[in-house]
Amino acid sequence: MRTRAIGNLLILVATVALSYGMQVSKPHYADLTAPIPVGGAMHDMVRARSFGVRLDKVVFARALKTSQFGRTKLLTTSGLWAVVTTSLTATSASATVADGTWQGPAGLRYRQTERLGYRQDMPPHAVDPGLERRGLFVFEVPADQIGGATLLVAARQFAPLDAQARISLDASLGDDGQPAEVLPQYDLDAPPGKT
Amino acid sequence: MTAISTDGKPAADRQAEKKWRRRSLAALAILLPLTLAETSYDSVREWLHGEDLVARDVDFGRSAPFGGSDWRLADLRGGKAGRLPDRAFAVIATFSVTIGDPDLQRLWLGCKLMLTDATGRRWLPDFISGVSLPDGVMNCTSAIFSGAKKGDVITIGDTFIVPEDAIKTIRPAVGLGSERPWYLRFQRPPK
Repeated sequence: MRTRAIGNLLILVATVALSYGMQVSKPHYADLTAPIPVGGAMHDMVRARSFGVRLDKVVFARALKTSQFGRTKLLTTSGLWAVVTTSLTATSASATVADGTWQGPAGLRYRQTERLGYRQDMPPHAVDPGLERRGLFVFEVPADQIGGATLLVAARQFAPLDAQARISLDASLGDDGQPAEVLPQYDLDAPPGKT
Repeated sequence: MTAISTDGKPAADRQAEKKWRRRSLAALAILLPLTLAETSYDSVREWLHGEDLVARDVDFGRSAPFGGSDWRLADLRGGKAGRLPDRAFAVIATFSVTIGDPDLQRLWLGCKLMLTDATGRRWLPDFISGVSLPDGVMNCTSAIFSGAKKGDVITIGDTFIVPEDAIKTIRPAVGLGSERPWYLRFQRPPK
């Protein structure tokens, strides 16, 4: 009788301990449904589920020049503009690539700018299988968030359990930890390769 | 030792209890999968109704009933036109549709014209600057709101950008909300 009582007590203690352990180690719902990362380096085609993305070039500038409704606008910033040029393609069916995020070295995330309004070369990018197209992602980031940064590209902003391309940027930095080359002004409407 | 009952119950009762415990365990094996199926039924149905999964092939020149109307591939032509990327072609696919049930806003919801190739890739319509649809041809969405009546014959079409390596095997296809997961896939016109 006594051994049975002790046995029952042991089972109870073990159950409580196990339940508590499971409770504290349970992943957050946001982590369970988080995007699935697909890593890659600059100049490599990174294959996510529905699209492929290759990071071709990153240009830093203190101001952006753009024309909107026939008027030239100069956008300034207290940080830096990062203009990321990518080549995009679809995997097996026409798709859109709409979300770009700049992730700094310590994990701070900067969403793509909304100050530019609608442009053909800005997200959402419509992509087709077998065809590559140039697509820009533009960010406004503090200068200390550039070394060791990662570009995150996904089909949509909230895409649980969908692939997210994560491309490590290797921008060349000067001695002060700032990008080696910062243009005073970048013209978004100049033909590619001319700025 | 075996004949002595610890809780004072007769042996027959214990036998019956044991039997019911076994039955309950067996019932779990059936009920758990059933519960799983019941709770996921709505999601599965929703998913099936949103995807073009099963092709229904239609010979060239023949028409097929789909979404309450009769669909026939009228024309499929490709070429270099407008502003296109390298090694890409512009393709225009047009369908001749005889309206049966005129409730297009319900039956044609989520209407999608597509091109598929031999490897299973799919292209959705694209805007090509410098290329427009021939006169009298409308895209699927405008057709839904065109007020077409029973018996009317309308021409529906769209423009696509397709890479060079797919152009030889592309086949036009149509998906409608009321017919998914089935979609119509048309045989190419003979050369």
